[in-house]
Amino acid sequence: MEEIIQHLTPLLRDVWGYIFPNEVELHWGLLIVLYPYLTGLVAGAFILASLVKVFNVKELQPTYRLAMLTALSFLLVAPLPLLAHLGHPERALEILVTPNSTSAMAMFGFVYAWYLMAVLCLEIWFEYRKDIIHWAEKEKGIKKWIHRAISLFSKDVSEASVKFDKKWVKIITIIGIPSAFLLHGYVGFIFGSIKANPWWSSVLMPIVFLFSAIVSGIGMVLIIYMIVTPFRGKTLDIACLDKLASFLFYVMIIDFTLESLDFIHRVYESEESIKILAYLVSDKLFVSLVVIQVIMGMLIPLGMIAVMKIMKSPAELKKMIYFIAAILVEIGIFTTRWNIVIGGQLFSKSFRGLTVYKMTFFGLEGLLAGLAILALPFVILFVLTKLLPPWEEAKTN
Amino acid sequence: MKNFLSKIPEQVKRLSVLLVIIVIGFVVVTSYLVPKDFGVLGHYRASAVQSNANKEMHYAGQELCASCHEDILKTKMQGYHKNLSCEVCHGPSLKHTDEPDQFKPNKPRDRKFCPICHEYNPSRPTGFPQITSASHNQRKICVTCHNPHNPTPPQTPKECEACHGEIARTKSFSAHADIPCTRCHEASEKHKLMPREYLPTKPVKREFCGGCHATDAKSAPEIPRIDLATHEPRYVCWQCHYPHLPEAK
Repeated sequence: MEEIIQHLTPLLRDVWGYIFPNEVELHWGLLIVLYPYLTGLVAGAFILASLVKVFNVKELQPTYRLAMLTALSFLLVAPLPLLAHLGHPERALEILVTPNSTSAMAMFGFVYAWYLMAVLCLEIWFEYRKDIIHWAEKEKGIKKWIHRAISLFSKDVSEASVKFDKKWVKIITIIGIPSAFLLHGYVGFIFGSIKANPWWSSVLMPIVFLFSAIVSGIGMVLIIYMIVTPFRGKTLDIACLDKLASFLFYVMIIDFTLESLDFIHRVYESEESIKILAYLVSDKLFVSLVVIQVIMGMLIPLGMIAVMKIMKSPAELKKMIYFIAAILVEIGIFTTRWNIVIGGQLFSKSFRGLTVYKMTFFGLEGLLAGLAILALPFVILFVLTKLLPPWEEAKTN
Repeated sequence: MKNFLSKIPEQVKRLSVLLVIIVIGFVVVTSYLVPKDFGVLGHYRASAVQSNANKEMHYAGQELCASCHEDILKTKMQGYHKNLSCEVCHGPSLKHTDEPDQFKPNKPRDRKFCPICHEYNPSRPTGFPQITSASHNQRKICVTCHNPHNPTPPQTPKECEACHGEIARTKSFSAHADIPCTRCHEASEKHKLMPREYLPTKPVKREFCGGCHATDAKSAPEIPRIDLATHEPRYVCWQCHYPHLPEAK
């Protein structure tokens, strides 16, 4: 008891207005912020990859495989923050072995498994199969066996077989688009369906999540592509960057429109929660929502890309601007997740008070653990690029 | 058949093997992990009911208590604690039914016990009896005045605050702090015993507030004035002004 009081007392100093006792401390912290952020990057990176295969955007070819591997690395890490947040992570398995069909959370396990196995891994497998067989032929030792195992000991590289691979890459991508929408739409659904919370409860939530996911995914692939290519001693494909920036720009406009629509709708409806939400936005979330999410993460990058589109600029300047814009977008989308997850818990259900979120540094829910989880996909991506090089020169004929 | 198999692309064959392994793996793992009686009665282990039933019992239940203490139950059923089970206050007492003399149920007598439910807390419903134990008959234990089996004291509380704690606190900060509740509400003695059957009155005329706040009222000059004839004539004052905190916006 004494421990709880000592823990809560400093928080109470920052509580404003009237708040129920169980609302003082937030139950969902940084880890739950990371979860929709990571899942969003998966869906976004996959949609970007699908532009190449389904919509035949040839300029984006250099980023196709990279986008697929990025999606896979982030997908593998996406459930980790949830598992780390659970007191008994081993019980998470039970939602798979004894699924409850009326629980959105339980059904997500299957959406995730479907997306991981039937979409991402399968598409990557078909895409890489021919190359893996050729690599394995030239390699020795453990790498040869890893590649042989990944190719499922396949040997057929005949023209008909490669054609079959290409056809299926396209089919899986077509199936993958609604699956990616489902994967991230679901995350928005989980929040949007919490009807007791006026900050979350909105039918627009899944679609807003989805478009912000696509924004973050395109931005992340752009950043990774721009960092990795010079490190490999190669030159950046400016046509590809232009196209990436264009798609980023278009999707950001849709995302911004949807978010504005949600905002205007709330203000126009003016339900009983509007006053406390106005306090929330103008006080506790002012920096993270107005300054970082909207101005820094949305308007400034939109303006930067727009200027690059309108004016004829040297390639070097374009690269720098695109890079800065993508970084700002990533920070912006992260704060979008932050504002949704943390913001939704900062106000009292009495609509008469606000609490505060204090992040710890150490511990499973702390900043250090969050950063480690955020860094993990990049480590996985590094390993994957060693195992399945996504570069043009690695392709075999 | 052989001809048919040779037509299937190599990839499909290999992936099918993998799929079969995954499906079989899932089925095998599931058959090990899912309890045999899962889903027989509902979305849970059917034997969970039995394993809960097998747990050692601690509580006797009100009916068993009543088989010996019928008189106490009768008293309790007439008072406000009628919905509380005996063991809410007396603690788990199944042992007492087996060995009435060796095991005596707990009789909470200190001043800390009753405030678990009756200490003032703004999240408790209005009308639920709430006290501030630090100022409520400090040196007496609760049972001195309240019979826990029928807790309404013989001499009913003099102050409205005993039940309407939240209003009393709000009012104490307001410009109306010095005005007694009875200036605006008439509450019969019976309200103290049967609060919901005998409700107190509320002012229904604008002129009531006008007694202090009208332009021609004979009250202290610092009291805010309004012209009753022109100031929102279609409303009773408390439809817009909360009388317990009139300065609230």
